[in-house]
Amino acid sequence: MSTKSLFLGIDLGTTNSAAAMFDGSQVHLVRTTQGATLTPSVVRLDAKGQVMVGAKARRLIEADPDNTRGEFKRLMGTGQPLTFPAAKKTLTPEALSAEVLKALRADVKEQFGFEPSTAVISVPALFELPQSAATSEAARLAGFSRVELIQEPIASALSAGWTSDSEAGSWLVFDLGGGTFDASLLETRDGLLRVIGHDGDNFLGGRDFDWAIVDHVLEKVAQDTGQRFSRNDPSLASGLRKLKLVVEDTKIELTRQTESSVLLPGLALGASTVDVDVTLTRDEVAKLCLPLVDRAIAVCRRLLAAHGLEPEQLSRVLLVGGPTAMPLVRRRLDEVLGVPVGEGVDPMTAVAQGAALYAATAGLDARPPQADEEKGSRLWLQYPAMTPDLAPHVVGRLVEEQGKRPASVTLVRDDGWRSAEATLSQEGAFVLSVDVRPRRPNTFTLEAKGADRGAVAVRPKQLTIVQGLTVNDPPLARTIGVALAYDAVRVYFERGAPLPTKRTFQHETVEALVKGDAGSALTIPIVQGEFERAHLCRKVGALVIRGDALKATLPAGSGVELTLDLDRGGRLSARALVVSTGQVFEQVAQLLVPDASVEALETGLAATRARLSTMRGTAFRLGLTRQIAELGTLEQQLAEVEQDTQAAKGGDADLAQRARRSLIEADAAMEQLESESKLPELEEEAVTAVTAASHWMSRYGTPQEQRLLDEAIAGVERARKAKQVLELQRRLRQVRDLGGAAFYKNPDAWLIEFDWAASQAHEAHDLPRAEKLVAEGKVARGTGDKTTLQRVTQALWKLLPADAQDRKLGHDSGVR
Amino acid sequence: MAAPLDRRLLENPFYVLGLTPACTRAELERQGQKLLSMLTLGLQEAATYVTPAGPRPRTSELVREAMAELRDPKRRVVHELLAALPVDASVAQVAPAPAADEREAWGEAMWAFGFAPKGGR
Repeated sequence: MSTKSLFLGIDLGTTNSAAAMFDGSQVHLVRTTQGATLTPSVVRLDAKGQVMVGAKARRLIEADPDNTRGEFKRLMGTGQPLTFPAAKKTLTPEALSAEVLKALRADVKEQFGFEPSTAVISVPALFELPQSAATSEAARLAGFSRVELIQEPIASALSAGWTSDSEAGSWLVFDLGGGTFDASLLETRDGLLRVIGHDGDNFLGGRDFDWAIVDHVLEKVAQDTGQRFSRNDPSLASGLRKLKLVVEDTKIELTRQTESSVLLPGLALGASTVDVDVTLTRDEVAKLCLPLVDRAIAVCRRLLAAHGLEPEQLSRVLLVGGPTAMPLVRRRLDEVLGVPVGEGVDPMTAVAQGAALYAATAGLDARPPQADEEKGSRLWLQYPAMTPDLAPHVVGRLVEEQGKRPASVTLVRDDGWRSAEATLSQEGAFVLSVDVRPRRPNTFTLEAKGADRGAVAVRPKQLTIVQGLTVNDPPLARTIGVALAYDAVRVYFERGAPLPTKRTFQHETVEALVKGDAGSALTIPIVQGEFERAHLCRKVGALVIRGDALKATLPAGSGVELTLDLDRGGRLSARALVVSTGQVFEQVAQLLVPDASVEALETGLAATRARLSTMRGTAFRLGLTRQIAELGTLEQQLAEVEQDTQAAKGGDADLAQRARRSLIEADAAMEQLESESKLPELEEEAVTAVTAASHWMSRYGTPQEQRLLDEAIAGVERARKAKQVLELQRRLRQVRDLGGAAFYKNPDAWLIEFDWAASQAHEAHDLPRAEKLVAEGKVARGTGDKTTLQRVTQALWKLLPADAQDRKLGHDSGVR
Repeated sequence: MAAPLDRRLLENPFYVLGLTPACTRAELERQGQKLLSMLTLGLQEAATYVTPAGPRPRTSELVREAMAELRDPKRRVVHELLAALPVDASVAQVAPAPAADEREAWGEAMWAFGFAPKGGR
């Protein structure tokens, strides 16, 4: 086994997986026993229950599709079981992914002589929380003791950045996978990589290219034979799958040659048998795929525009994913965006290589822990295993004395450079700055001296720091929060928040929960998404407090302190403390992508269509041309949702999930369009908010606060002129925030608040208590007791009811 | 609302990291890495940070958030401005003001100013 640290990165892909090992100076691809760098993500179970993974299993997927499964990554986090009739077994997507990971682990052992215990695994940029949790679970099942997750575009950029000479600038990662397209905007500065934004199209991927070519081949077959076949005919499904596989191979051949043939003699298509022999040219295929490539480029333009960037401001574009091997992609990017495509990065293994580099950043040595044979006092060291910094710190603390106690420590680099000598503090600690050489591993030996200046043995004896491009903390891909009973979201972690992270907020229950009542429960829904309304965000988990688990009955308005904790791998844990009793609940009852039943999909589709129809009618009446066009695009997407829903009836859970997500996205897109039509209303709100904020600021604000408000107001004005609804909402929040801060400096603030709360007291769910509070407040007002007035007002707020409809939209949340 | 703004002033990333608004990006990364290392080892020297309203406890989460905030040039500008604001020490010592949602509370402020509150609570 290597004496150097080794860092393992894994790209656990939908179609193919890959692994790479970083040794501190070079990245090595992990090869299968056949010498390949890609392992098809396909698992087969035979009648004896024996597992076959990778290329061998892939060859049997057509001959025995019932016992050979692929593309299970799409089902991660759904809990959807997959059956293997021959073996009479059922496996979850996590268990199947674990088989792929086990195969990669075995390949690592073959090549490097040890079974890795840790790794970094890549996940798509927009993976939801349950999908990330399922990936971590797959790694655990495969025998890894610790894993971290990294978003695929960051991994690709790290891989390219490691070999790149010029580091600074904005990068576009163009990731065209089998079923989806992701565009990510990143920035490198001072050796650090930062995610600026993501966009994507869940309906665009290599398989759309394949189907476009299949349609073309069927058209040619019709011309030759007079027989017409339609992709919508379910009886042709099996034959069409075979044809698609051959078309896929032909498409790949056309990336290297200018002409190739689709040959499939005796293809059974329903009741007919046809001999397919169609020659395709690269230009012909390019013409078929052009609209799809342009659709992806349009997403890139939208992403750039959203961040105020012009294509010429990009320093490079990185291509990731098999379909980007098509020469057409490169050509169109050059023609339309005029941006140079980064060279020297293998689109098929870039993600795995970047994950391996990230493993070094996270200090995840893949080698199994070795027996501590060193002697001497033990130091606990903290340092960046990989850093962009040329002068990082090494911090240490004495945790176990053995022999003579060390009094000072010096670090000596492998070429003889020496750090300053640090004297151990009273806590037995030291902080040293070290110089590192760029783009290479720097090994330091620890030299310790005792109080008598004599040499003292310490362990560990050495440490290694690699200098290079890195991303320090993995950013959270989507905002996480708690749905509230009035259909709002209490944001716990903003998108981009560095992981790990932890937040605690206080909530109040909206109704009573009776001790011992097994039938009643308080739900705290955890949602992920960027919208202010809870129903537009995806519910990814829930913490449920049942009545029969309570120590005492909880009246409405009881305080619940909720803590959400996310680790570096995106794993969520939640803890709810019932303030009045001190009782703690920690079980996240549900961490699954919600079920997508066909009935629910059909109902959702019908409702979405009805809403779209109403909106289109309004848009036509008002002559909103841009909105009409966008609704047209949405309608096309709904047609695809319908196709997926039909396919889901045959048991394709993957397509059912895709349909579910698409419906939520369509709903969100319509919400956005609707909010745009509400711009005049928002503009009115802006006038009110700006006036109010200016009023309070002029009385109670400091000059600096006034300056911040002026900037926020200027932002409101800019957003209003540009008709940017979301930006306007964001700026308005700032204005309200600053105005609110000034308002609460008003000595009469709680007096005013009390008057309003008292005027609403007749709606309270506990009227006697509300009346008592109002009476108490009136006395406090009379005596000028502001502390009591504040307490009474806040208590009154808690008694006001949540609207039932809002609560339903807020995922039945029991808190506010 | 008073409490979040004052909290934001006291949790200004420059205070948390013990840096001035003039610090470079490299200094920010170096200081953040040093503090995270010291906090992991439980060193007293890193356990608190200085604010105009007195020392406050420093946590790894605060340091990570502070680093992320200052890496974003647009957000950094705001924190540079906020770092220049005077902090009212007496306000900083009291418990947070309203417990309800920030936006709701603003509804009251609007009402107080003579406008009907927006949305329910």
